[in-house]
Amino acid sequence: MTDQAINTGAGRPAVSPQAVVDAARPTGVRQIDYRPDAFNPAPSRRFYFLMMTPSIVLLAGISIYPFIWLIYMSLHTVGEAGQPDVWNDFKNFTRFATDGKFQNGWLLLIKYSAMCMVLEVGLGVLLAVILNRSKLEKFLVTIILMPMMMAPIIAGLVWLFLYNGAFGWYHWLLQSIGILGPTSVLGDSDIAMFGLVAVDVWQWTPLITLITLAGLKRVPQDQLEANMVDGAGPLRNFISVALPNIYPFLLIAVLLRFMDNFRFIDAILILTGGGPADATNMLPVYLFDVSFQYFKLGRGAAVALTLLLVTIVLGMVLVKLFEDPRRKIKVHGREEG
Amino acid sequence: MVEVNIQSVWKYYGKTAAVKDLNLKCPENSFLAILGPSGCGKSSTLRMLAGLEHISAGEIFFGAVRVNQLPPKERDIAMVFENYALYPHKTVFENMANPLRLRNVNREEIDKRVRRAAELLQIDMLLDRKPMQLSGGQKQRTAIGRAIVREPKVFLFDEPIAHLDAKLRAHMRGELKHLQRRLETTTIYVTHDQLEAMSMADSIAVMHEGVLQQFGTPSDIYNHPANEWVAGFVGEPPMNFLNCRIEQGTSGVAVVHPSFRLILNDVQRRLLEEKGAEVEVRLGARPDTIAYRPGANSGLDVPAKVYVTEPLGGDMIVEVQLGADRLTVKTKIGPSANLDDPCTIGFDASRVHLFAASNGIAYF
Amino acid sequence: MASREIAQYPTATRRVLGVATILFVAFYLIWTLLPLLIMFLSSFKDLLDAFQLPATGDWGGAALLFTFEPTTKHYQNLFLDLNFGTYLGNSLIASLGSALVSVVLGSTAAYALSRLDFRGKNDLFFWIISTRMAPVVAVLVPLYAIFRSLDLIGTLPGLILAYTTFNLPFAIWILKGFFDNVPYAIEEAAMCDGSTRLQALRMIMPLVAPGIGAFIVLCVLFGWNDYLFSSIIGSGGAKTLPAATIALVQPQNIQWGSIMAAGAVTTVPMLFLGVLIRRYLVAGLTMGAVRE
Repeated sequence: MTDQAINTGAGRPAVSPQAVVDAARPTGVRQIDYRPDAFNPAPSRRFYFLMMTPSIVLLAGISIYPFIWLIYMSLHTVGEAGQPDVWNDFKNFTRFATDGKFQNGWLLLIKYSAMCMVLEVGLGVLLAVILNRSKLEKFLVTIILMPMMMAPIIAGLVWLFLYNGAFGWYHWLLQSIGILGPTSVLGDSDIAMFGLVAVDVWQWTPLITLITLAGLKRVPQDQLEANMVDGAGPLRNFISVALPNIYPFLLIAVLLRFMDNFRFIDAILILTGGGPADATNMLPVYLFDVSFQYFKLGRGAAVALTLLLVTIVLGMVLVKLFEDPRRKIKVHGREEG
Repeated sequence: MVEVNIQSVWKYYGKTAAVKDLNLKCPENSFLAILGPSGCGKSSTLRMLAGLEHISAGEIFFGAVRVNQLPPKERDIAMVFENYALYPHKTVFENMANPLRLRNVNREEIDKRVRRAAELLQIDMLLDRKPMQLSGGQKQRTAIGRAIVREPKVFLFDEPIAHLDAKLRAHMRGELKHLQRRLETTTIYVTHDQLEAMSMADSIAVMHEGVLQQFGTPSDIYNHPANEWVAGFVGEPPMNFLNCRIEQGTSGVAVVHPSFRLILNDVQRRLLEEKGAEVEVRLGARPDTIAYRPGANSGLDVPAKVYVTEPLGGDMIVEVQLGADRLTVKTKIGPSANLDDPCTIGFDASRVHLFAASNGIAYF
Repeated sequence: MASREIAQYPTATRRVLGVATILFVAFYLIWTLLPLLIMFLSSFKDLLDAFQLPATGDWGGAALLFTFEPTTKHYQNLFLDLNFGTYLGNSLIASLGSALVSVVLGSTAAYALSRLDFRGKNDLFFWIISTRMAPVVAVLVPLYAIFRSLDLIGTLPGLILAYTTFNLPFAIWILKGFFDNVPYAIEEAAMCDGSTRLQALRMIMPLVAPGIGAFIVLCVLFGWNDYLFSSIIGSGGAKTLPAATIALVQPQNIQWGSIMAAGAVTTVPMLFLGVLIRRYLVAGLTMGAVRE
């Protein structure tokens, strides 16, 4: 080795005077505080961007374009059958103030979602806790998740059959128990909402159960044992150890179900179509009617925008939450999949 | 097979420079180790050599060929990764055969070469296993096997044995060095372990904070450290440093510490003059160059006190309190001593190092 | 939580709790299965049998549910008279087609997103997933207009594209997670072995293949179960099973027997798929936020 000396580059200081001043750094280190004269051309990332392009173009086509269209429509009275669209000075929005069905729609949607959520989370978590300790877990879960696999519209039809006032088995069952009067479930404006909630609970409680089970599997065994040693009973154990661990999972589950209630109205459309007497006319159903029954596309677009806005806000919260359990996975260092 | 030449290479991640103005030359068929603590830029350097990382500025040559723009495939290199990076779904044989298959080598030739490499690495009985079924050492051998089935121009090793246990690591050091001598291929080896670098490499490049601190043979690095940081990083236990002053006395030039003074010899004095010595200096002395005797007035020049003794079988480490400074001394095994027991120590003036206090550059 | 490993001792309360637990699970199983059971039974019943209901409070009459002369005439009606063979084919082509398109486009995009870092990546990612969160009803009108201008209304390609609108963002989101789990070093090793960039990608495909397979099944499930898109975008030439089933609901004449049969035809394949990909179901239905 001939080149023993430090190669300092042409005429540049080998060590910056800062070296002694900066106490945090180890002493006697050769430092370089100049920058390169020229940079090499940046590497081509075309390979990656080419891979993304088709998806992004397609998604842009089906999201940005419709979104702009939606905004345009919401600001106009959309003419039917070749008539021109007319600017209407935000009338589609200002009429929200006096539109009882719009306000009622939001109220009903929130009421419906809240009822579904309370029942689904209550039942789902209880079931998960029981199944988690069962030897039959795999088998029972397979049965329990069946309703989720069903098309919502088919679920709606089946329940329509069950609720039927003349030959529905659930109608008979409810009357036999004595909690249902002569009117059918969906025909009575006081209880139609509960009828819809039952369908949602039937179909989607398993999702909460599955998510909670996944969360329970991650509760660290040592924490549970430590708590048992400290003298906690199973209930205390669940509340103080398991619950904090599955809480982020539950939050995600609830938000997802909330957003799905905005998205999927298949079952409601077939079961009540918003009736009787608007008792179940939730916002998405109302929106469907405005746009596809009355063809008031401008008004519909304005309603749709309010729905989109709330969805996006919920979505942003959801994405923030996504980060959380993923980090947890790393902390516990468990294998995935 | 080929000389590797790194010329003024920089690596930026965003605004942070990971490698700064690096110049290195690894001669044909020699073994270069890049040594440094984590985050010193050594892995980035290796990845730039492999073509896995863009070279922000500067140039890299393999022989006469500028490889800046070449993808890994066209650089004719073989690399062994820190975590082995074996293909989990392929057997050991398939893992090792992959580089040959990609170059359309015929079946018999592949079979022959994989088996030969496997024998060399003593994994020929594992050829049908999947990586999941291998121990760390076996995985590491497979990864090396994948690199040597071919005859690449350059071998690149990224801390290949860092995750093995101490005993296996010591064994593999010898094996790897033997392999490199036998295959006679230019090899660049990144490690944070000075023992690996010192024992295996023909030359060592010490890096810290993205900057090349010193480049030389293992003996250069150990005996003539270029600055205080290198002196402190290489060597176990690490070198002792003391704040001293240079004084022109009647008996010549001396290094003065509150507890002692050392007269420099002619060579040292000349080096000091050549490099324009400052008054404030740092004296460096390796633990095994300091003599130690227990007891007061036991014959050595500098009286001191024992802080603790750590017997290590044949040797003993003694921590010695010298005024406000504490020194580590390595000596032959002797009786243990208690805190504050008196002792004397002696410096070998011809084997000390002197660094500028302002910037740490070595005078000698 | 393997709490079953923690020692437990029988006490009176525990025994009561145990019985209550069993009762609860039994009740829940009945609650879950009864609608499905009634659907299947009714699909094999003559309408006269299907409409038989015991008097209110006559609990013994519940046996009526099981007393009937099995008939396959509703199924015959569906496939021989009502063209359900075609609808079944449409459902299959549309959902499978969309699943394949989504997985091909989605896996390339997901791979790039997983391996490449660039400014605004998180924003892009949120935008991608937000396109799936959008309520279908809200964007149906503009989408209809777009599809009409492209002459895709009532065609299978149109329906495939429509399903892709919700399957593709889902694909990118989920598949990125799969790729994130494969160490980049494996591809780097492949490149050092002499692979091109693309060959290196092919090298890791077997590692993500099981996930991608399960994911295709999920896409099929979502497409198969869709109703709104198929009723609006597919109306005319590309009727799928859910839309065709709804067509049996006519104001004066609800053909309950055929509807139950159609429901069974639509549901049974999905039940099997659900069991098949059970392991991936949670990840799929929570958009990857929760994994088992």
